[in-house]
Order: sequence, then structure tokens, then C-alpha cells
Amino acid sequence: MRRTASFVMAGLVLAAMPAGAQEGGHRIVLRDLVRTFGPGAYQGRNNGPEQTERFSRKVKIGRDGRFSLSNIAGDIVVTAGSGDEVSIEAVKRTRGDRSELARVQITVDERGGRVDVQTDHEQNRRDRNGRSDHVSVDYTVSVPVSASVDLHSVSGTIKVTGVHGSLRSETISGDVTITDAPKLESAKTVSGDVTLSGITTDGDLTASSLSGNVRAKGLKARGVDVGSVSGDIAVSDATCERLGVKTVSGAVEYAGGIAKGGRYEINAHSGTIRLLLTNPAGFELNANSFSGSIRSELPLTIGGPAAQPGDSPRNRRGPLSNHSMRATYGDGSATVVVRTFSGDIIISKR
Amino acid sequence: MHPNETTLNEYADGSLGAAERAGVEQHLAACASCRQLVDDLRDILRATGELEPLDAPVRAWPRLERAIRMEREHATRVTAGPHSGAAVSDPADAGSYRTYATWLAAAAALVLAAVVGMRYTPGRRAEAPAVAPAGATASATAGGAAESIETELRQAEAHYENAIKGLEAIATTERSELDPRTAATLQKNLAVIDQAISESRAAVRSEPASEPAQQSLIEGFKAKIGLLQDTVALINEMRKGNEAGAARIVSGLKQKGN
Amino acid sequence: MTVDLVASIQAGDVDAFEALYRQHSAKIYTLASRMAGSPEDGEDLLQEIFLQAYRKIGSFKGDSALGTWLYRLALNHCLDYVRSRRAKMNKLTDTLDAETSFEPAARRDTPIARMDLERAVERLPEGCREAFVLHDVEGFDHKEVADLLGIAEGTSKSQVFKARLKLRGFLGKR
Repeated sequence: MRRTASFVMAGLVLAAMPAGAQEGGHRIVLRDLVRTFGPGAYQGRNNGPEQTERFSRKVKIGRDGRFSLSNIAGDIVVTAGSGDEVSIEAVKRTRGDRSELARVQITVDERGGRVDVQTDHEQNRRDRNGRSDHVSVDYTVSVPVSASVDLHSVSGTIKVTGVHGSLRSETISGDVTITDAPKLESAKTVSGDVTLSGITTDGDLTASSLSGNVRAKGLKARGVDVGSVSGDIAVSDATCERLGVKTVSGAVEYAGGIAKGGRYEINAHSGTIRLLLTNPAGFELNANSFSGSIRSELPLTIGGPAAQPGDSPRNRRGPLSNHSMRATYGDGSATVVVRTFSGDIIISKR
Repeated sequence: MHPNETTLNEYADGSLGAAERAGVEQHLAACASCRQLVDDLRDILRATGELEPLDAPVRAWPRLERAIRMEREHATRVTAGPHSGAAVSDPADAGSYRTYATWLAAAAALVLAAVVGMRYTPGRRAEAPAVAPAGATASATAGGAAESIETELRQAEAHYENAIKGLEAIATTERSELDPRTAATLQKNLAVIDQAISESRAAVRSEPASEPAQQSLIEGFKAKIGLLQDTVALINEMRKGNEAGAARIVSGLKQKGN
Repeated sequence: MTVDLVASIQAGDVDAFEALYRQHSAKIYTLASRMAGSPEDGEDLLQEIFLQAYRKIGSFKGDSALGTWLYRLALNHCLDYVRSRRAKMNKLTDTLDAETSFEPAARRDTPIARMDLERAVERLPEGCREAFVLHDVEGFDHKEVADLLGIAEGTSKSQVFKARLKLRGFLGKR
């Protein structure tokens, strides 16, 4: 669609505008994005030996303290340790000039039981070529086991293990990998994969990637919402009461249980949706696809308990067709809604 | 002579006047089908009384939270004015600040408006053809219903497209740019969604009454709006991060004695 | 406790607002879904209602419980929605409300399952569904329902009774 292309192109065009055309040429203008990686980005001074600078800080925050970290470029690794202090180790890296390292500022803000770490890239005059520095900062952090953690990155991976306090991890381009995090609330990336393992929470959790895959293995939660646009979704060994899955061109596989009275909604456009159900409670199934086929290996009763032949026009057309199925398994207490446009729908028992 | 359905209903839910009650009870003692009706009504009333709340979908809160944060931020900036808070210490910035505040207001409004998708439930419309008023021919009704489905759908599309246009306009005029790689990812995924929308549209045209076709078209619009909202929110966050980062740098520089 | 929560929300504390949401979202979502006739519409209304609550929290005076204030806001919002939708949809509503002859379904004497009833309520035609939800589910009396829906008290009764009979048909109890 032309319109769509133009909005993004406008963004790119702005990025390439010469310095003079930007407003406020004399003030400090910060572009906090490190545009180091794309083709056509500045080349040259970027290929020298790697220069590094270390940063280290320990802060006491108490067992239930809060820790947040905001990074621009670079990887973040957070693990839970014993004790009540946060230990921050950071390495600034560049293949450019050593002086660039000093232009990256790490701010640690401590305030009554919380620590907020910010990474800021300074650029004190607009460079003729509009380029920014080429510094990345890799963080390795240890937090108290019950601390709540909030991580943001622009370009870099996030890896968290063992954090038992509430956890949010978001990056724009990079993978997010979370293990053993019982209070995971959200794990998101734009282009990268999200991988969750060993998550047991009694709350809700959201995981999404725009163009990458989302995989969750060993998941126990009350409510789960998982989405991607072009990536695949795979949820296995899962127990939840409410499930929302959406992808456009990706495929979906859900291998898990159906809880009594739960609600499960899965939507894909062209991908295949596969349900492999383990000891499912009874459910009413509403499956439809425009051109994909629907197959069930579970013994289903055609028509829901509340839908009697003859009293719903939809059923009059035939409750079971290639592309539409309204059926009941067991007592029909839970609700399972599965929809695709052209993808197939396959339901089986594990 | 059976009591009418109104009376039996009133009897079942206990709202029947004392005077009439005796007469009804007398009838029920002798009439199995009325007794069955009353029992069924009481069953329904009992089950209804036992209905419990259903949990909202998980995604409802994150969407709401984002809308609120944007709204709050806009309100803060409007009341605080251009010279408080962030790094804007140069009067020349006031102009661009105001532009940003305007932008943010528009963005917040669109995010909020588009938070609510179009209220279009295809299934209900599809039921219309079978419930023809007496005397109407089947084909006339079916034709009429298909037409009204088409109209409803066009209205839904128009509503979505307005929201989409608005969000796109915001993303276009926004100063702060996204890095090329992210912009490319967003574009690639928008193309995936647009492809899906165009397939669904073609399907609806060929089979207007098909619920899967209608549903997939609506899902496509929702996906597109979701992506544009994410983009707008992303731009907003980077913008915010810019300003806050600028403030930190400035204060950091001051500390260094620059 | 409520005073603190309201004050926090007014001061812009989103976590406090989340606490309010977690406490009341199920009830509001359920009311909205049943009034609107679908969970999708209910979800949309839920968001609108809480956005409105966020904006109007400043006007909460503490003369009722916060939950009650929120419920009233939600109810008004749902009613506005129902009224405006009915205005747009009048032709179809008439069609749907027309007496339909259901083939008598096979009688089922099993107890009514909760989900079956929820789904059956969703299928009720507009007009009688709102009256049923307000009277039989939410517990308003016919006079209150009449006031809320802008109809005559007698109409409220007939709509509620019609809804019950339709439910009886849907649930296989004919």
C-alpha cells in the first residue's frame, strides 16, 4: 500500500536530512539511537581495535527493592543472587576512538529501596554526517531474588534468570530470554525472539515480538497473551486459564491443558494452528477458517449443548463443514475459539 | 385454561400478587406442562443468580495502561508548560515543544480512539437472513441482508481506515526518527498485514456472508491499528527518552564542571 | 484505604490505577459483555469505561464506595452504547425480535451449566437481553430497569419474561 510505504519512507528521509535543515542547530540535540549497524551507516573509524571501559557499582536495596535499567545498545544479563544488594557491572565498548567511551554516561539513581540505571549517549554537536557514536554498553547485573526488575533496551539482547520479583523486559531489536521468573509480567521485542522457560506465575503475562518468534516452555499462569505479526508462536507444557494468541503470517502451536471454564482464543491469518491438548477439561469449540481445513482427532460432539439443530441459522447451514466447526468436548465448560483465514486448524490430544 | 406466560413468569419469580397465587397453584397441581414451565423458569433464575464474573482478556490491561500513560504524559506537559521538567532550557525550544505537545495530544487521542476496535459482530448480521418476517420471500430477505452486511462492513472499514490514516499521519510528521533497521522491520510487518487485509477483503467480496471472511478482515484491521499504535508509542518513548537523557547529560556535564 | 487509592490515582500513579482495575475489571467486563451481547464488544467497552474512570476520578467525592461509583459509570456507559446501537440498528432489531418458530429441541434435564447459560444470554436478541441482564442478573427492579432503558415498566416485564422463555429454548428445556 503506497500510503504505508510513504510513512516509513518519511521516517527514513528525515534520518538522512542534512544537519542544517534540522531545527535548533546550536542546542544540544540528542539522538539516543545508535545507528551503527545499518548498511549505509558511517563506516571508517569504526573498525579499529576494541576499546573498553569498565563501570562497577553496588547498591543496597533490600530484598523487595526495585531495579530498573535502561540501555541503548548492548546486551543485558540479569541474574538473581542472594543478599539484598544490586551489583552492576558494565563494559563500554567501541571500535572507534577511545574518547567516545567517555561520552556515554551511566547514571545510577538510588532512592529509598530503588535503583534506576540509565545509559545516555551524548553528542554535543551535530556531526556533519549526522552520525552518532559507536559505543555499546553490556551490563551484567545481579539482583536480590525478590527484587522487581524493569529492563529496557533499544538494540541488544536481554537475558534474565531466576528473578522472582515482578519482571518486565523490553527491547526493540534483540532477543529476550527469560528463565525461572515466576512474576514475569511482560517480555517484548520488535525484531528478535522471545524465549520463556520455567515461568510459573499466578498472574497474567504478556509476551510479544513483531517479527520474531515467541516460544514459551513450561509455562503456568492465570492469563497469557502472546502475539507476533510475522513470527511463529509455540507454547508448550502450558497450564493457563485464559489464553490469547495472535499472529498474522506465523504458525501457532499450543501444547498444554484446557482448564475448566477457561477461555482460549487463537487467531492466525495464514499460519497453521495446532492444538495438542493434555488432559483437557471439557470445552466448547468454535473453529473456523475461510479456506483452511479443520481437523480434530479428539472425540467431539457436533454442535454445542446450547445449540440445538434447527434453532440457529448458522447450524442450519451445517455445524460441521470443511471450514467451520462448532463442537463440544466433554462437558463444554471451557471456551476454545480458533480462527484462521487460510491456515489449517489441527486439534489433537497429547 | 392455562395461565398465560406472564402470570407463570411472575409466579416463578415470586412477583405474583397474593390474590392470583392461589389460583395458579391450584392449576399447577393438575397441569404437568405448566409445572414443567415453572420449574424450568426457576432453574434458569437460580442459574442466573449463580452467574459469576468472567475475567477480562489479558491484553486489555496493557492496552489500557499504554493509553493512560500517553494521556497522563500529555496532561503533565500541558499543565507544566514548556519551561519546566525536561532539558528545554533554550527559548528557541519552546516552539518545538509546543509542536511536540500538540503531536502528543493528537497521538494520545488516536491511540485512545483506536484502543477500541470497531464494534462489529459479523455473526449477528449473518443470522438475519434466516429470521425472515412472515411473507417475505427467502431470496429477497437474503439479498437484503447481504446488502446490509456489505454496508455494515463498509462502515467498519471506513472507521478503521480513519483510525489508520490518523495514526499514519502522526508517524509521518513525527520529528524524531526511528533507526533504519527498526523502521524496516515495521515496514516489513505492515506489508504482511496489508497482504492479509487484501486477501480478506477479496474473500469478503466473493462471499459476503462468510463469517470467517468478515472476521479475518476485522482482525487484519485490528492488527494494523495495533502495529501503528506500537509505532507511535515507540516514537513517543524514544522522544521521551531523548529529553530525559538530554536532561541527565546536561546535569552530568554541569557536575563535571563543563 | 480508598482515599489513598483515589489520591494516588489522581496524582497520576498508574500502579494505583492498575490496582483499581484488577479489583473491578471482571465485574465491569462481565456487565459490559452481557449488555453488549458479545465478549469482543465487552472488551472494547471495558477499555472505554476505565479510560473514562481515569479521567473522571477527580470527581469522585467519596459519598459512595469507589466500586459503586465505578459500577454506575460503567452502567451508564453500557446504556449509552446500547441506546446508540439500537438507534442505528432499528431495522435489523425488528427482524431479529420477530417471533421465530424454533423446532422443539430434544429435552435435556441436566442442570444448567454456567457457560451454557452465558452463551445463551449472549444469543438473546437485543431489547430483551438488556432488560434481562439488568433485572435478573444485576438485580434492578422493573421500575428501575424501565428508567434505565427509557421504556415503560410493563415493557420491562414483558422483555424480561420473553428473555427467560428464549433462554429456556436455547438451553434445551422446551
